[in-house]
Parts: sequence; C-alpha cells; structure tokens
Amino acid sequence: MHKKRMAWMLCLVMLLAAFAPLAASAEAVDPLVVTVFIGDPFDQPTSDNKIYKLIEEELGITFEFEFLAGDLDETLGIKIAGEDYADLICGSNSAEKLIDAGAYIDLMEYIDPESTPNLWAHYEPYFKRVQMPDGGFYVMANYGRIYNDPIVNYINGPAFWLQKKVLEWDGYPTITTLDQYFDLIARYAEAHPTTDEGLPTSGFEILCDGWRNFCLLNPVQHLIGHPNDGGVFVHWDDNYRVDVFHNKDYSKTYYQKLNEVFNAGLIEQDTFVQNFDQYIAKLSSGRVLGMFDQYWNFQNATDALVAAQKYEDTYIGLPLVYDESITEHYLDQTIININRGFGISVNCKNPERLVQMFETFLSDRWQTIFHWGIEGEDYYVDENGRYLRTDEQKANADDPIWVNANKAKQLFYNAPKKEGTMDNGNSWDPGLQPEMYFDKMSEYDKNFLTQYGMNTPAEFANPAPPNQPYYAAWQIDLSAYPDILDIGTKLVDIQARDLPQIIMSKPEEFEQKWEAFSATHQAAGQAEYEEFMQGIILEMNERLR
Amino acid sequence: MVSVTERNKPRNNAGARTALRTLLRQRQLMLMSVPMLLYVLLFNYAPLWGWITAFMDYKPSRALFDNPWVGFANFEWLFHQPEFYLAIRNTMAMSAINLVFGTASSIVLALFLNEIRFTPFKRTVQTVTYLPHFLSWVIVVGLAQSMFATDGVVNHALMALHVIQKPAFWLGEGRYFWWLVGVINVWKEVGWNSIIYLAAIASIDPTLYEAASIDGAGRFRKMISVTLPGVRATFFVLLIMNIGHLMEAGFEIQYLMGQNLLVDWSQTIDIYVLKYGITQGRYARATAAGIFKSVVSIVLLYGANRIAKRMDETTLM
Repeated sequence: MHKKRMAWMLCLVMLLAAFAPLAASAEAVDPLVVTVFIGDPFDQPTSDNKIYKLIEEELGITFEFEFLAGDLDETLGIKIAGEDYADLICGSNSAEKLIDAGAYIDLMEYIDPESTPNLWAHYEPYFKRVQMPDGGFYVMANYGRIYNDPIVNYINGPAFWLQKKVLEWDGYPTITTLDQYFDLIARYAEAHPTTDEGLPTSGFEILCDGWRNFCLLNPVQHLIGHPNDGGVFVHWDDNYRVDVFHNKDYSKTYYQKLNEVFNAGLIEQDTFVQNFDQYIAKLSSGRVLGMFDQYWNFQNATDALVAAQKYEDTYIGLPLVYDESITEHYLDQTIININRGFGISVNCKNPERLVQMFETFLSDRWQTIFHWGIEGEDYYVDENGRYLRTDEQKANADDPIWVNANKAKQLFYNAPKKEGTMDNGNSWDPGLQPEMYFDKMSEYDKNFLTQYGMNTPAEFANPAPPNQPYYAAWQIDLSAYPDILDIGTKLVDIQARDLPQIIMSKPEEFEQKWEAFSATHQAAGQAEYEEFMQGIILEMNERLR
Repeated sequence: MVSVTERNKPRNNAGARTALRTLLRQRQLMLMSVPMLLYVLLFNYAPLWGWITAFMDYKPSRALFDNPWVGFANFEWLFHQPEFYLAIRNTMAMSAINLVFGTASSIVLALFLNEIRFTPFKRTVQTVTYLPHFLSWVIVVGLAQSMFATDGVVNHALMALHVIQKPAFWLGEGRYFWWLVGVINVWKEVGWNSIIYLAAIASIDPTLYEAASIDGAGRFRKMISVTLPGVRATFFVLLIMNIGHLMEAGFEIQYLMGQNLLVDWSQTIDIYVLKYGITQGRYARATAAGIFKSVVSIVLLYGANRIAKRMDETTLM
C-alpha cells in the first residue's frame, strides 16, 4: 500500500517537472541566461534577490556569476589558455590580458547614437581614452564617468591614516608632516601600550600582501607632493622624466624613517608576512594606530569598527608630506577607469542583447534602482525632491546580508554607471548624498570634525587640481611590450622582497642594505623602464591634450 | 612483469608466432587494459602536442601555426634568469627535506603503532594522525601561520622551555622557510603515509616473528631484524617514485606561506612558472619550464631505478 502511494507521488512529481518549463516559457520576454565572470571576490546574491528578479521580469535575463577565488592573473591566465570565457567578463585589474588575447568583442560595432543613445552619451567624450591602440573599445569603464558636479566628502584614495582617538588624545593637533605623524604615534603608543580591551597597540601597519603591496611601495610619491601615479614618479616640470622612485634618495628618507620607527618597536614584524584578511582583522580590532593605505582597500575594517560603535578607532586620512615647503596633492580629479569593468566575450551568443541590456541599465530609472533601490522600499523622496533614507533603510543598506538579497551589487559594481550629480540635484551614489553623509555620521565623528572646524573628512586635503592629460601612469597598459613588462615585474619583486628587510634591519646595517638594494634595483633595467615610460607619457600627452 | 616479457621476447618468425598466440590467449586481459591505455593516451600523451608552443612566440589570440618559431629562445631566457636557478634549488631542497622527514617519520610511526597491542588506542592514534591529510592547505597554512606567528604558541612554548630567549620570526626569515615546510608537511601527511607501511608490516609472515622469538630476540630486536627488513621493498618502491617527483615540492604551501620578502627561499619552479609565465600571459615560457621539469624528472626516475637495480633492490621498471 505504502509503496503504491509512493509510486503515485513519483508520477505526479515527474509530471509536474515535465510541465514546469512550459509554464515558464509562457512569459512575454525571451528568457536568457548570461554567464558572468567577475575578477573580484563577491558573495553570491540570494536566489530571490529583489533586483535580479526585477531584471528577470522586465528583460528576461538571469545571471550565473562566477567570482574570483584566488589570484586574478592566474585565473585569467588559465581561462585564456583554455578560451573558457563567460558571456560577460570583468577582468578587473588585469583586463588587458583578456584584450590582448582577443577575448572581447569590439563594442564600437555595437554602440551608436541611434540604437544606444545612453551608452553613446556615456562614453563618447572618452573614446580617445577608452579605445585601445587598435581603435577597439572592449571594456565599458565601471567608474569615473561623472555627470554634472562631483561630490567629494571623504578621501577614498591614498593617505596616511590615523585613528581618531589618537588625535583626540593629543588635543586635535594639525598633522601635516611625516615626522609629526610618527612622533604622535610614538607618544600615544607609549602612553597606551594596550587598548582598552587589553590588546597590544600596534603603531603602524604596512600591508605587503600580493598586489596590495602598494601600501609598502606607493607612499613616497605623495610625500613629495605628487598624486598617485602608481609605481612611478613623473617629473611634470622636467619633460615628464620618469622615476621608478623606490631607490631614489627621496625614498631613502621614508624607508629610513620606517627603519627608525621599526627599531623603536612601533611596527610589528608580522605586518610583513600577514595576508589581507589578517590585516583587515587587525585593523578591525582597533589596536592599529595608523597605516598608509587607500580607503577602499580597508573599508571593510572601518565598517566593522562602525558596526561595533568604536568610532574613535576609525581612521582619518592625513595628506602628509616631508616638510612644510611641499604642497600636498593627494586628492585627484576622477579619471575614467579605463579597461576596468565588463566586456562582452567572443563566446557570447547574442552580444546585441547584452549591449541593449546595458543601454537600458544606463537609463535614469535603472540607474536609480541600482544606486538607490526601489522608491518607498529602499529610500524615500522628501517634499523638496531630495532622496533620503529612513533609519531602517540606512541600516539595511549597511547590512551585507540584506544587500545580498536586495541589491544587485555583484552586477552593478562593474557595470557602466552614472556618478556625480543627477539632473535633479541628488547624488547618484547614495553614500555621497550630503544630507545622508552627515546624518549617518556618528556624534563622535561630528564632534571630531567640529574640533577641526571642518564639515567633511575630505577637507583635510586640498581640493583636486586639474589632471595632467596623461594622468594616471598606473593606467598605462604595458602588455604590448613584454620586455618592459618583465622589467616592471622584476623591479616590483625586488622592491617587495628587499624593502621589508631594509625596514627590519638594525640601524647600523641600514646604509649597507640600502646600497645593495639600490644597486640590484638599478641593475634590473630601471633606466630602460624609466626611459620607455617617459616616451609613452609624452606620446599620451600629445594624443589626449 | 619483467620475467614475463623476457620469456616472450620474439627472436624469429617462430617467436613472433608465439607472441601472437600469447596475445590471443590473453585477449581478455588486453581488452581490460584498453580503457587505461586510452586514458593515458588521451590525457597524458595527447597534451604533449602543446609542447611545440615552447618553441614559438606563442599568443593565444593567434592560430597555432601563425605563431612565429623562435627555436630555443624561451629556454635560453629561462636559463639566463638567476631566479629560475633559485627556484630549482628551492624546489629540490624542499622536496629532499620532505622526502627524508616524510619517509622517516612515517616509518617510525608505523613501527611504533605496530608495537601497540591495545587496539582501541592504536586505532585512535592512527585516525588522529591521518585526519590532517584531509584538511585543505589553506586551513593548514592558516593554522601554521597563527602558531608560528611572533606571539604564537610555538614561540611561547620555546621561550617557556628556555630554548630561545626572544621570539623568532619564523614566518619572515628565509632560512627557516624550507624547514617550516618540512615540519608542516610531516604534521599533515605522517599518518596518511604510514598507512602503506602498516600494510607492509601486516603482510610480514608471523612465523618470522615466532622464529625470532625462539632465537631469543626481544621486542626491539624483532623490530630491527624482522619488521624493518619486511618494509624494505615498500621503502625502495616509494623512494624511487618520490625521486621521480623531486621536481615537485608541492605548490599550495609555498604559494600560501611564501610572502614577498621570502621569495628567494620560497619560490618553487611551479610558482616561478606561474608568475613569469602564465600570469604575464607568456604561455610559451611556462611550457618551456614544464618541459625542462619533465625531462629532469624522467632522468631522476631512471637514475634512481638504475641505482636500485644495481643494489639488487625491488625496482619499478
């Protein structure tokens, strides 16, 4: 009897299963599954995610995401070797490899003022920049396309960061030079060998993990008053002569300072061997007084500290220089993020439909949905037409679990997007909407800024002056010049290997180790690399002026 | 196996006919080996076709034969890189350390386990020691990193025992790296590797032990004179196989633990290939390094096998 019932149940299930696809195909839009590879680690969205559901309802498109797990270059290398491309690929920091391998279709053939007006208006002013030397436009830049006025509330890029409690303890001093910075750290650490929770205080952290070793390698250019050009310093006043600056005398000053600070016990040696997760965990514990980093890189730690309401342990970015005679230049004007974002792969069966999808997504309605969410659910509009969020909506937006179910972060982060200000005056990015930024600030932070007579953390730095046409050198793609790329890889290897040793050396060994490093660095083809880069930058200035 | 083929070596026409007859007689066996043969051909021999890219200026965006031939340029490049020699040194050194530590520790563990008469305890120890084998390297390295950190358990323990005066920087000093890898490998694999020796011990004829007892051998004597010679064949077979793998020191552990500042000690051939080959999109270079590795491995394997043969030991071929 029991068996018979089971058999009937099975039959029923089979029948239902057979008819299920019929039911689905009754929908108006053609369903399409788009495979997506993203060269950044993300969490998978929940299966009933609100925004992806809306996309499926209106456009019939669903996504199968594959996120980065492991090293990007290796993952891409293996994908390229096997021509194993998803429909949409975001190559993140190594998209040039995909372009070089012919993995992307040329979007110039799909974008025109008639059929894709939004995409055309979005990228047309930047075609000279986003087009590769062969004239192809392969990757739709994810960030840096500003509409109307940019909004700058805080330093998102590089700075020397310092816990607010340290400045508070010292009576809110103005810190502008490297020496003042480390002097304050030393005094605070001496007075507070442990945190309130009993954890040992760490004076200064230097993240050296993988590609994030810019925390070790990049500071010097800023200390001499230059914005972020990556691993090189470009002499704007000397025919754009290029320095791979790590073994120059003006770099020695910095690393000698770090050596001094290390020997004073303010840098823990484990900082040179910790990985990114350990670094974030350490910052999140509140026991790290300062570090050089870019804000987006350690934002997770800030979020954790804010969630724990340890506002005094969060960081303020200080644009430090060597001495008062140097004008700091930390904030730069937003540049279009060339080759970072989605491209459509040659394996994609219907590129037209995906281009049209991005065209639709660039409409103001969809941009608002991606940035802000659904009106009434995720934000509201007040009587003055300002977009705002209730406390609950704000809390939701900060909750990663809620975000996974209610935002299309995985897709939107790398999709073409509008930034700056909407035509109606609201900020595209909710995080930058001035009212919300202030509202969201804790009482502690408001008071902190009041002490300095400032309204936003960005006021610690000078407003961004106009960029040089070529800027920034870190965007320059060298994949077409393998020999130069080899030298570059080797130079960074030497820097990342030797600089930690130099910082950790005994003071009396410093000179000798520095000389040895400098010589090795020089011998690895430094001059050739510098000369080549100068040529490229001069050519770019000519082309983009 | 060797003797079988010797006997059937065809010497003349008559011999060829005999061979054919043997073939026919063993047709079921032949048929059974076909899938294995196909597998090896398909997955181990067919990909060798790709070796030709090592002699090209290869780019995946071009059709295979549109790539210009460059002769041995990729090999020349490799052998002009001081880092490549360091990588070979590191690989061989870590392999050797792993081989010696790994073999010694698993034989000793197997010998000791075999002496335990209380079965529940024996089973427990065996399970506990081989469980780490199933942990992923990411977890093992994470554990090791916190244990060997400056304020980690190892430093605390060694300082409490007055072995060292101040904490050692285990994770940041090149000279410790190989040994650290050796120690962690032993921790992870000792139980697993001892299983095969335990199996070998179990197959020793018990009468040998009885005979030894009658001759007045004690427990320790029996271990030395009966058990150890009993695992000798297993030991040599494994040794030869491992020598063939000397060019592979593992990948994950060096990759996960080898921070930038340790690169001179931690970079193995595989990591080097990944960094200067695949990561930079230079597949030809990676292939060239792969060919080099394979050739060296084959030479080592045959060399070890020959030596073992000369010593009249059990051999692979």
